[in-house]
Amino acid sequence: MRSMAIIAGGVFRDSIRDRIGYGLVFFSILLMASSFLLAQLTAGQDVKIIKDLGLASASMIGLFIAIFFGIGLVTKEVERRSIYSLLSKPVTRSQFVIGKYLGLVMTLLINLSVMVVAFYGVLLYLDMTTLDGAKAAWEAPALDPRMLKAFALIGVELMLVTATAIFFSTFSSPFLSVALTFAVFIIGHFGEDLKNINSIVQSVVLPYIAKGVYYVMPNLSALDVKSAVVHGQAVSASHMLLASGSCMLYIATLLVGAILIFSRRDLK
Amino acid sequence: MDAIKTTGLTKHYQVGFWRPRPYIALDDLSLSVATGEVFGFLGPNGAGKTTTLKLLMQLIYPTSGHAEILGSPVGDVAVKRRIGYLPENPYFYDNLTAEELLVYFARMFGCSAREGRQRASRLLDEVGIGAERRFQLRKFSKGMVQRVGIAQALINEPEVIFLDEPMSGLDPLGRREVRELILRLRDRGCTVFFSSHVLSDAEALCSRVAILANGRLAAIGALDELTSVGSRGWELVVSGLSADVLARVNPRLTRATSLGDGRFSLELPPSTIPEQLIPDLGGARIVSLNPLRGTLEDLFVEQVRATGGERFSEKVAS
Amino acid sequence: MTAAPLKHSRYLWVVLIVLLVSATITQVVIEGRLQKPSVTPSVQWIQSPVLMRRLAVGFNAIWADIYWIRAVQYYGDTRLSEDESKNYDQLYPLLDITTSLDPHFNIAYRFGSILLSEGYPNGPGQADQAITLLQKGIRETPGKWQYFQDAGFVEYWWRRDSRAAADWFMKAGKLPDAPNWLEPLAASVLAEGGEREASRQAWLQLNQTADHEWIRQAARRGLLQLDAEGDIEILEPLVNKFFDRNGRFPASWQEMTAAKLLRQVPVDPTGSVYDLDPVTGTVDVGRKSTLFPLRSRLR
Repeated sequence: MRSMAIIAGGVFRDSIRDRIGYGLVFFSILLMASSFLLAQLTAGQDVKIIKDLGLASASMIGLFIAIFFGIGLVTKEVERRSIYSLLSKPVTRSQFVIGKYLGLVMTLLINLSVMVVAFYGVLLYLDMTTLDGAKAAWEAPALDPRMLKAFALIGVELMLVTATAIFFSTFSSPFLSVALTFAVFIIGHFGEDLKNINSIVQSVVLPYIAKGVYYVMPNLSALDVKSAVVHGQAVSASHMLLASGSCMLYIATLLVGAILIFSRRDLK
Repeated sequence: MDAIKTTGLTKHYQVGFWRPRPYIALDDLSLSVATGEVFGFLGPNGAGKTTTLKLLMQLIYPTSGHAEILGSPVGDVAVKRRIGYLPENPYFYDNLTAEELLVYFARMFGCSAREGRQRASRLLDEVGIGAERRFQLRKFSKGMVQRVGIAQALINEPEVIFLDEPMSGLDPLGRREVRELILRLRDRGCTVFFSSHVLSDAEALCSRVAILANGRLAAIGALDELTSVGSRGWELVVSGLSADVLARVNPRLTRATSLGDGRFSLELPPSTIPEQLIPDLGGARIVSLNPLRGTLEDLFVEQVRATGGERFSEKVAS
Repeated sequence: MTAAPLKHSRYLWVVLIVLLVSATITQVVIEGRLQKPSVTPSVQWIQSPVLMRRLAVGFNAIWADIYWIRAVQYYGDTRLSEDESKNYDQLYPLLDITTSLDPHFNIAYRFGSILLSEGYPNGPGQADQAITLLQKGIRETPGKWQYFQDAGFVEYWWRRDSRAAADWFMKAGKLPDAPNWLEPLAASVLAEGGEREASRQAWLQLNQTADHEWIRQAARRGLLQLDAEGDIEILEPLVNKFFDRNGRFPASWQEMTAAKLLRQVPVDPTGSVYDLDPVTGTVDVGRKSTLFPLRSRLR
């Protein structure tokens, strides 16, 4: 238990010292600030654009970190052999995998929080500098707390993607792991459309395959409520619970799988 | 209880993708190391020394056979608390300082951060890392990383310590320091298991050695016994030997070397008994008489050759 | 002895399988209970189709496919929903985005216009939007006579504007590669009293020439609707005869057959029983019939 916490802390410390990590968070904040400029171009849709961009960039940056750093968690230690001395200490391989996972998740959630603060900061500025008359045209208030729901689900999505990245990295090369994680991400998002693929492709077998794949893969599009919150529509608590709960099952599956695979591997 | 014990430890790798064939990295290794020993695990490169160590650390899994450390199966987490390991060509975490690395490991043994810092400080002193301990490891030279590696292996005051090529990357001063360290560890009652292909280190430190070649155990035993088997004769140094006496006794010698000033070093084969030769040396005076012992190197080369010395390509079972 | 690589690893395998199966089953179970994502795509604030295509970073064809799938699903879901009033508002935006991402997405224009003009409650009944969509198609591919033909169709069939329809058909006929029946079709559209015949002509041509099965199906349905209209033209006078004889309209088809005005209960070309309104004496296709609603009953 303690070893897991120590390893997790190590991951967090690594991320702080990693210039790339910083750069990405900084970039996202920059994006949010510059969304102001873009807002000026689209006549009356300003708050929507800022919200859209803010949510999208938080999600994208988080994803980037989750995939690339997630894959490095295990592969870097194994390739560089720092894991040799680590495993001679009282820590099991399972604790190693879970510790690394928790460390990155913690990092991601903290990054996400920073971005949320920056996001609301920008919106606060917009709110203060916009006339009441213009505000009447907004579908939802600038400082809408409901957007936190979207961020919460983005957090869940990042946790799932990280688990996927770790899972693949326990047995594939870094390049392949990135590709496979990305593939799961895409299928997870477009699964609904995949299910309806017989709208454009006439085939007998394909709809069944597509449906099967849809059910086995996690439903990431359910975690995407960005559109809804930007338009001020309600996101029900039951939806949040069901979508998150389903993803937690997948996270558990992936982590158990990662442990099983990693524990049997010869570390050459 | 033995500190370390292996029974029939074997590791095969599958080589080749389409028709995989087994590559025998380690074949049926059975040895035991008693508590408190300094045990040298010797062999040429590729003999299987690192494979053995990785099997003992459960970094890889055996094809057959088993191994125990301090009476429990390898990989047992409780036992990991009592051992230390220095891998070959160690690499740690670039962005940590030497101090931070040691504290990181110390905490895994249950030390508090402060205790960890104290231990780290002490160990870094012992291995000779001074002010550099505040620098990130990415800035360390190979020798310094090696020292840090030794320090991290000792962070938990282990009862058994495994060192894979501990002298590698060190300058002569460093090597002497490590030798002294190993002797100190022995004096503290620690069991030291180290692998090396540098024989002089083993000769200086070990009570027992094993020689591994081509994945198989070629020889094992106390250093003295091993090198005395097959005593090679005698060296007789005499002075005042005349040329014609030398010519007369020459057939009974392996070699005669002139040391200058009428001194000669006469090498006697085992078949020539010194007591029988000396009366025939005329008025020559005896300076010294010593039995010739094989060096570890001789033994080493002999044993390696004896196991066939097959090359890698032949080892792959056809 | 070596410790097993993982303690209780057999037990963990079981856990893994259980988790994976329950994750999949959960997906199936919660499918209906998840909130449907709002269909309004965020990309609507991108006014320019060119910009939209650029932002799709080279995947615009795939995005177009995706939006097309969503448009069709949206239409189908809305039509089948149990709601009192059906809201097809997002159909046009979805089709607009699809065709912005892929301006040559033929089926999106053609079938999209069919869906858009379909009368409420089976569709949004937005003939104007259908024409607008087709005009967009014409801008992108000026030589495509099929879009002109489709626009003429919408005008004639749904907006009952023969003049406008004939105009479209004439323009279509003048394009290179246009078939030679378009100009005669324009003529028959304008002919007085020949309405049903002209419509039949138009549907027949569509059935024979359309390059997509769905359009042909729509054409065949149109033909069957014409047949149904013909049937109704025969049935309603018979119902009126009943009224003349009995001073009221028949309560059911059985009364008509009992009165020997009909030999059997009348069914439409799809086999569905015609609907008789005892109060007004009007005959219509059954609400459940696939031919419902008849265009002639909408205005």
